Amino acid sequence: MRTMWRRACGLTVAPLVMASAVACGGGSDQAAEGTTLRVIVNITPNLTEKYWNDLFARYEKAHPGVTVKLELTGTIAADAKLRQDLAAGDPPDVVQQITPNADTASLFADLTDESWTAKTPLADQYAVDGKRYMVGVGEQIQSLVFYNKAAFEKAGLDASKIRTMDDLTAAMGKLKSSGYKPLQTAGQWVTGGQFSMMADAGVLTADPRWTAKRNDGKVSFADSGYLDYLKDYKGWIDKGYLDKSALGVTYADGQTAFLNGKSAMYVMGSFFVPAADAAKKSDDIGVFSMPTDGAYPSGQFGNISNPYVVVNKSPHKAEAIDFVKWATTDPAAIKSQLASDGNMRTGFSYPMSSLGTSVQKILDKAPSVIVKSGANQPVAGFSDELNKQVQSLYSGASPKAVAEGLDKWWNSQG
Amino acid sequence: MVELAGLTEAQRRGRNRARLRETAVSLGMMGPAVLLYTVMTVVPVVVAVYLSLTDWDGFSTAAFIGLDNYQHLFDDPSSTDAWYVTALIAVAGTVLMVGLGLVYALALKAKSRTNSFFRAVAYFPHVISALILGYLWAAILGTNGAINNTLAKFGIDPVGFLFDEQFALVSLIAVIVWAGFGFNVVLFVAALQTVPAELLEAAAIDGASKRQINLRVVIPMIAPVVTVATVLNLVGLIRAYDIVVSLTGGGPAGSTQTFTYLILARSFEGTKVGYATAQAVFLMVVSAVLALLVTALRNRQDQAATGS
Repeated sequence: MRTMWRRACGLTVAPLVMASAVACGGGSDQAAEGTTLRVIVNITPNLTEKYWNDLFARYEKAHPGVTVKLELTGTIAADAKLRQDLAAGDPPDVVQQITPNADTASLFADLTDESWTAKTPLADQYAVDGKRYMVGVGEQIQSLVFYNKAAFEKAGLDASKIRTMDDLTAAMGKLKSSGYKPLQTAGQWVTGGQFSMMADAGVLTADPRWTAKRNDGKVSFADSGYLDYLKDYKGWIDKGYLDKSALGVTYADGQTAFLNGKSAMYVMGSFFVPAADAAKKSDDIGVFSMPTDGAYPSGQFGNISNPYVVVNKSPHKAEAIDFVKWATTDPAAIKSQLASDGNMRTGFSYPMSSLGTSVQKILDKAPSVIVKSGANQPVAGFSDELNKQVQSLYSGASPKAVAEGLDKWWNSQG
Repeated sequence: MVELAGLTEAQRRGRNRARLRETAVSLGMMGPAVLLYTVMTVVPVVVAVYLSLTDWDGFSTAAFIGLDNYQHLFDDPSSTDAWYVTALIAVAGTVLMVGLGLVYALALKAKSRTNSFFRAVAYFPHVISALILGYLWAAILGTNGAINNTLAKFGIDPVGFLFDEQFALVSLIAVIVWAGFGFNVVLFVAALQTVPAELLEAAAIDGASKRQINLRVVIPMIAPVVTVATVLNLVGLIRAYDIVVSLTGGGPAGSTQTFTYLILARSFEGTKVGYATAQAVFLMVVSAVLALLVTALRNRQDQAATGS
C-alpha cells in the first residue's frame, strides 16, 4: 500500500515538476546582450521572409546592440497574431500591416508628438481622433487597368481614349471580337477586390464620405452608384467578357494568365508592377486610370503601404519607435521597401520599369487618393461579403439583389 | 455489522485508516487526469462561454452584453447561409461515408491479401492531412487543374467542379467522403470479425441469401459500431474546415462556406471575437445534442429489437 501511495504521489507531482521546469527553462530576450525587437510582419509574394531579414540586417548594422527579430504569423493575419501575443502576455514591439481604429488605438503608442511622423505618407488620413498611431512608408494605388499592348493594337484600341464605363465596355467588345478574353479575373479575394478597385474610384470620388454615411445608415448600396457598377459588371458577364471559370483560378494563376497574354486587361493595384517586372513583361503592358461615369481621371482608391505601429506594452518602446522612424524616414530603407512592392512616395524615386513610371504618372495626375480609414472604414468582414456577393452575379443573381444583399448584411452587423 | 461490532477499537481505527489511504490513493491516481481535463477542457469552455456573452474584439476590455451575440447568430445572413451548407455537408457526407464504408467493408470482409490491399487503399487518404488532400484535389479539379486541362486539349469547355456554386458543393462533399470513408471501413471490418460464424452458418442453413444474411444478421450485429461511426462522422463534418480552406476557400460566392470556416476565417480574423466565440459555443452545443440524439435513437432501436 505504501508503495502504491508513493507512486500516486509521484504521478501527481511529476507533471507539476515538469511544468515548472519547462516554465523556468525558457529563454529571455533580456538575458541576451542588447535589445531584441520583435516585429510582426505579413509575408507576401513580394515581401518575402528573406526580404524582411535583409532589411532588418541593415538596421542592425547601423544600430549595434539592437537585434530585430522577424515574427512570422503562420496562416493567420498580423492582427490575429498580435491578439494571440497580447493574450499570452508576450507583447511584440512593432507590428506591420495593422490599422488602428477607435477601439484599438489605445493598444498602440501615440506617435503624434514625434515630429517626423508628420512627413510620412497619408499620416493624417489614418489618424484616429487626430492622433497618429500608424506611420507608413509609401502609398499604393488600386484603381488601375493594366492592358496587353499587343491586344489593344490588334483590336485598334487607344487606351488614352477609354475614360467612361461605356468606353470600357465597348473596348471589351472589340477585344473579344479580336479573339481575346477581355478582362482577367480570378477566384479567392480577387473578384470582389477588383470590383472594389473599379467602383470605389467612381463612387468615392463623387462622395469621399460615402462609407461613413453608410456606417450611419444614411445611404445604401441599392440606391447608390454602386448599383450602376454592379449592372456594368453583370453586363460583362452576360456578354461573355468575364469568364465564370475564372472563379476556380487562384490569384497567382489569374495574374500569370494575364502576364502570359491570355487575357487583354487586368484591374489591379500598383503592387502588380513588381510581378510584371519579375516576369520581364513590363514593356509589353500598359496602364490607364480606371474609367468612371464621373470625372476623369478619378481619385485613386488607395492605401498606405508598409504601415507600422509600436505596441504600447512593448518592453522596448523607445527602441521600437527608433526602428519605426528608421523604417519610414531613412532614404535607403524607404527606397528598398517602395521598390519591393511597387509603391510610391512623393520625393522618392527608385529605378522603375516603364510600367512603374506609367503608374507613377497616374498617381501624379490623380486628384486625390481615397483611403478607407477612420470613419470611412467599412464594417469588419465587408470585403469577404462583397467578394461573395459579386461572385453570385456569375450564378445569375441580379445586380439589385446583390446590392440589397450587401445592405442586408451591413445592417445585420450592428 | 455483526462483524464490525466484534472489532476492537484499534482494529476499527486501522480499518478506517486503510480506507482513508485507499481513497487518497484513488484521488492521487485520478488527480493528474482531472487536473489536465480541467485545465485543458473545462476552463477553456467556461472562458469561452463567458466571452460569448461579451463584445470582446480581442484587444480592448470586454463588456458584458448578455445574449446579444446568440441573437445575432439568427439574424446574420452569413451565419444562416453557413448553417445550410454545413447541414448539407454533414448529412450527405455522413450518409455516404457510412453507407459506402459498410458496402466496402462487407465486400472485403473475407481474409485475403487482395482484400487487405484494398482496405489499405481505402484507409490511405485518412492518414494524409486534410489540408494537403484539399490542395491535391484543387490541382485536379480546378479550372487549370489536370481534368480541365486535359479536356481543353480536346476543345471541351472546363467543367465547373470548383467554380460552379452547386458543382463546387458536390465536389467538396465527394472529396470529404473519399478522404473519410476509409476510417469507417476499418471500423466495420473489425466489427465484422466479431460476428459469430455459427450465426451466419445457421442463417445460411435456414436458406437465407447472402443479401438477407447481410441485412438481417450482419448489419444488426454491428449496429453499435455503425452508430459510433455515424456520430463520429456527423460531429466531424459539422466542424468541416481544413478541406474547405484548401479546396474551395469557401467559394464560389460562399457556396461552400461552412460554419467553422465562417468562425475561423471571418469572425476571428476580424475583430468580432465575442461573436465568434458565441458561434463556437453554439456549434459545440449543436454537436453534443446531435451526438446524444443519434446515440439515444440507436439505443431505443436496440432496446426495441431485443425487447428489453
